[in-house]
Amino acid sequence: MDDQDRDQLEPDTYPPPTTLWQRVRHSEVWRSAFRHPQLDTPRGRALQSFSNFFLHVYPVKVPARVLRFRYSWRLGYILTVLFAILNLTGMYLMFFYTPSVASAYGDMQQLRTGVGFGQLVRNVHRWSAHLMVIVVVVHLARVFFAGAYKRPRQFNWVLGVGLLVATLAFSFTGYLLPWDQLSYWAVTVGTNLVNYVPVLGLTLRDLLLGGTQIGQATLLRFYALHVFVLPAALTVLLALHIWRVRKDGFAVQRPGGGAFTEEATMLPGEPIHEPVAADGERRVRLLGVVDRQSVTAEERRVDDAVFTWPHLVVRHAVVGLATAAAALTLGVAFAAPLRDLANPQLTPEPSKAPWYFVGLQELLSHLDPLVAGILIPAGTIVALILLPYLDRNPATEARHRKVAILLFSAMLVAASVLTVVGEFFRGPGWRFIPPWRHLYVDL
Amino acid sequence: MNLNRRELLRKGWKLGATVLGVALGWTAYEALRPLAGTAGGGSVTLGNPADFKPGTATYVNQGRLWVANAGGHFFALSQRCPHLGCRVPFCHSSGRFECPCHGSVFDLGGEYVQGPAPRGMDRFELRLDNGTLVADTSKLLPGPDRGTRDFLTPPLGPPCTRS
Repeated sequence: MDDQDRDQLEPDTYPPPTTLWQRVRHSEVWRSAFRHPQLDTPRGRALQSFSNFFLHVYPVKVPARVLRFRYSWRLGYILTVLFAILNLTGMYLMFFYTPSVASAYGDMQQLRTGVGFGQLVRNVHRWSAHLMVIVVVVHLARVFFAGAYKRPRQFNWVLGVGLLVATLAFSFTGYLLPWDQLSYWAVTVGTNLVNYVPVLGLTLRDLLLGGTQIGQATLLRFYALHVFVLPAALTVLLALHIWRVRKDGFAVQRPGGGAFTEEATMLPGEPIHEPVAADGERRVRLLGVVDRQSVTAEERRVDDAVFTWPHLVVRHAVVGLATAAAALTLGVAFAAPLRDLANPQLTPEPSKAPWYFVGLQELLSHLDPLVAGILIPAGTIVALILLPYLDRNPATEARHRKVAILLFSAMLVAASVLTVVGEFFRGPGWRFIPPWRHLYVDL
Repeated sequence: MNLNRRELLRKGWKLGATVLGVALGWTAYEALRPLAGTAGGGSVTLGNPADFKPGTATYVNQGRLWVANAGGHFFALSQRCPHLGCRVPFCHSSGRFECPCHGSVFDLGGEYVQGPAPRGMDRFELRLDNGTLVADTSKLLPGPDRGTRDFLTPPLGPPCTRS
């Protein structure tokens, strides 16, 4: 259908142009770029999503409850915004940074004094990275407590765990780049954890460092990982994750217990349980046998659906701006640290790993390194990956998942306590020093 | 084994992809692993044994190592803590090596005394060439196991890393 035919079908869409702006929008050039006009009609709103490259990531309609902030706290979306901020600020910083031991530290100093907005952009980059680590953990916890990792979302949970690991690796590789005392020794401590991997430890560490100790090869490797390999991996994982959010459907909790209903995809060979109503009569639908509550949920979903454009998009725009404002405020208020030039001959007291690994460091001071450095962290990651397949309880409500929630909460509390103790209560020689006596914290 | 064309192709591309994946992985490993010899190391002349006083340790910058004289027994000790790689300084007041990162303590012979380190300080091969001590920094030997107490003496005085 060409433009003329369409205009005849919808004469109100393109009324005869009277102003210059209307003439522009009516022109062939404009309409070759923007194929559909913005119409405040159901069809127009659907076309916004269909025909816009950026909005096409959204479904045309979403359940109305998705619009509530409490539904997901928008954590996944906040993470996407933070990732975008990191990309933008990172690209700017790349113009002024050379991954060389001889010049990296000088470049960081130059950013503070000789580059327009250099310090601010670096601050925002650093605080956004820290925020991303915090929000990704909160996101994971929220999904767990909501039971949203259960069928049919098991694989998306696994992708989420992959994103968590990629985020930590992203932040860790960026930590070395300033080449100051803080980064050098934090990464020294962090990479030496790999030593404790049985059999392959030394090989893995040397592969990561490009030698037996941190040097030029390490800086180049971390830089390559930080600016290309990990962003590419994270982008692919993120795209898959968002795609699965759409394909797996939005969470619908069945009132009487049970898992999410709207995407009840059957596995091959799975027996069909024909539900029997209270009166003993079987209720059937035209396309398949489902229980009555599913039908109710399905009907409610259709009834409650609202157009993504503008309802969800506007809310996302507000949350995105709030996230950017928070990152900018942190960047204005707090300067990213830059200690003295990295000196392999002088270990600062104390030397702490980046804060998200300080819990491990604290654990290492109590337990055998193989247990604390490898078995517990690797076991945690493996357990998180296997969680949706091991947890066979279909219930999503907390009162039906007491054991799972208790175990997960205990893990979260333990990790938080270890991190707080390691970050705030440890001083020179890893001695216990309360923060009100002296604060040894570097972020 | 009877294979029709379709099955042959189905198995063939999987086999080919596996071989290609292994080849790519191995090539990447070979390209990225540090080459032998690039890690540094070699013979470092330390000096005459008489230059190193008993009961103390001397830092040799060229080899990034400590030379310790524990009652006439000489050691070339790596400066890196076997726990998590921090540089371990010698504390003259206590006469021991004290790691500032996590509080591991080693005696003058580099033997484990306390802290989270899994073993004593790693040692470089040491030899006497025409009356001169020479360390081979390309040959790093793992430190003595925990519990080894050949050179343990009480601390001379207060530790350096204190709150």
